[in-house]
Amino acid sequence: MEKMKLTLLYSDLKSDIDIIEKELETALNSSSHLINDASLHLLQAGGKRIRPVFVLMSAKFGQYNIDQIKNIAVPLELIHMASLVHDDVIDDSDLRRGRHTVKAQWNNRVAMYTGDFIFARALEYVTSIDNVKVHQILAKTMVEICNGEVIQIEDKFRNNQNLKDYFRRIKRKTALLIESSCELGAVVGGLDVKNVRRLKRFGYFVGMSYQIVDDILDFTATDKELGKPAGSDLLQGNITLPILLLKDHPTILRFVEKASKGSVSESDRMEMLKVVRNSDAIKKAIALSNQYLRKALKEVDALPNHPMKKKLRDVALFIGKRKF
Amino acid sequence: MDATYIQQSIEQLKTNIFMHVRHRTLIQHTGSPVLDENQLFYLLLPFLNGEKWDEQIFESAITVGIVHASLNEHDKISEKNATSKEQQLTVLSGDYYSGRYYEILAHSGNISLIRQLSEGIVSRCEHQIKQYEASQYTINEWYQVISVIQTELIKRFYQVYEYEQYGSFMHTGLLLLQLQKELQLHQSGTTSNLFAKMQDSVLGEEGSIELIIQKEIDSLKSLLNENIRTSTILKDDLKLYIQHQVALNEKVTRER
Repeated sequence: MEKMKLTLLYSDLKSDIDIIEKELETALNSSSHLINDASLHLLQAGGKRIRPVFVLMSAKFGQYNIDQIKNIAVPLELIHMASLVHDDVIDDSDLRRGRHTVKAQWNNRVAMYTGDFIFARALEYVTSIDNVKVHQILAKTMVEICNGEVIQIEDKFRNNQNLKDYFRRIKRKTALLIESSCELGAVVGGLDVKNVRRLKRFGYFVGMSYQIVDDILDFTATDKELGKPAGSDLLQGNITLPILLLKDHPTILRFVEKASKGSVSESDRMEMLKVVRNSDAIKKAIALSNQYLRKALKEVDALPNHPMKKKLRDVALFIGKRKF
Repeated sequence: MDATYIQQSIEQLKTNIFMHVRHRTLIQHTGSPVLDENQLFYLLLPFLNGEKWDEQIFESAITVGIVHASLNEHDKISEKNATSKEQQLTVLSGDYYSGRYYEILAHSGNISLIRQLSEGIVSRCEHQIKQYEASQYTINEWYQVISVIQTELIKRFYQVYEYEQYGSFMHTGLLLLQLQKELQLHQSGTTSNLFAKMQDSVLGEEGSIELIIQKEIDSLKSLLNENIRTSTILKDDLKLYIQHQVALNEKVTRER
């Protein structure tokens, strides 16, 4: 339902999104039956495709040519997909979007090779662009995302972290790839430096809001909506914003302690969810997300007049207000 | 040029690879990148033989080593359980090294090598994953899998810099050395997944898997020796080094 609403928001881009979807299928085509099966499994799981959408929307402010723009939109989605496949190994996740993960359906090694295959396909695809700057931005993003994940593992179950640690982490984990999607769309679209920078900042602010909302939904949405048990982040030791805002709560402290030993029961999880849902931490986290959204909208205002301005605003607002 | 010089060149390349992927947390938890000296030797073979070699080519060789290191990290991931911090960070080591090779080549604008290496990785993954497919493969197809895993990225490097004349030495040498290694591991009681697959592929055939692989090793050895004997491009020191590499590997195998 939510995905449908989002699709409606960028209905103007539908034909181009369809091209991207087709290209994703082509890019994932392999001589290996197993990689084909795993990739098809990933494609069928769907996804909001927000990274390609941001690439296309940003490029619209310049010289828009889908045959060129797709060469950066497709790799960005592939990089996102590949990192999810590897993340599921790291998090030992069996479910994503209600479907079995590659590592659960097959095994960790299959997930590693499938992820490596997709990463490589992304780079193979992007080499049709000979603008070195594009490669430098994308490469830096990939390295930084990895650094963010290393920090996330280092920070697991660490109680003495602060908001700065959290924002630094989500910047690399999520905001960077959305920031780069907007920046790269703008660069490939040939925008001037000022507007490239505006769209880059827009992507960063939207990305931060997106991750905060994601972290809120992990507690407020139902297991069914999430396609995995609510509170999974904390179960895995990831101290996200709602928890940081009430981390001295005895129930939460107890839960983190138990989770670090792998001894959480279903009633512990329910009790933790009740505490988080009934606290003001959710409200405070939403307020922080909205601050980022406001900053994102300010960047949109500064962009040259174009029908895409409204779309950018609408998609940003949707992302910041989505229910799951 | 003697064996010491060759060894020093390999060590220097190794040091450079380590320097380019240095990451405090990753080293602390997962150790230094794993590199195969035989592969590094073949990466350097054109240089050691006096071919045109500049800073850009040396940097390219470093990135090929980094890609090997990246994929080697992912080979360390357990099939069933990768929940320990060390395993989690090993996944990320591989991804980090992969990002670094791209970053280095993007910085110098070497897009043609990025393309070649990504195509090489695609092919390597497609072959590596065959171990987990339900399909049955013949022993020769498994040799092909090992060959692609060992040689594909170096082959791509040779293509970009027009060193293809070294391809047959590299191809035969690395396949031979890896088969010796696989056999040696099996005889010492640690059978790799790939070896087990080779074993399955000859079930019901005459002769044990050890004999079949030994026969292939002998045949590759004859081929390599013949290539070396008739080669007009390889320096004598390098011919000796390659033969010594194989003999040394064999000696280790026999001693076990």
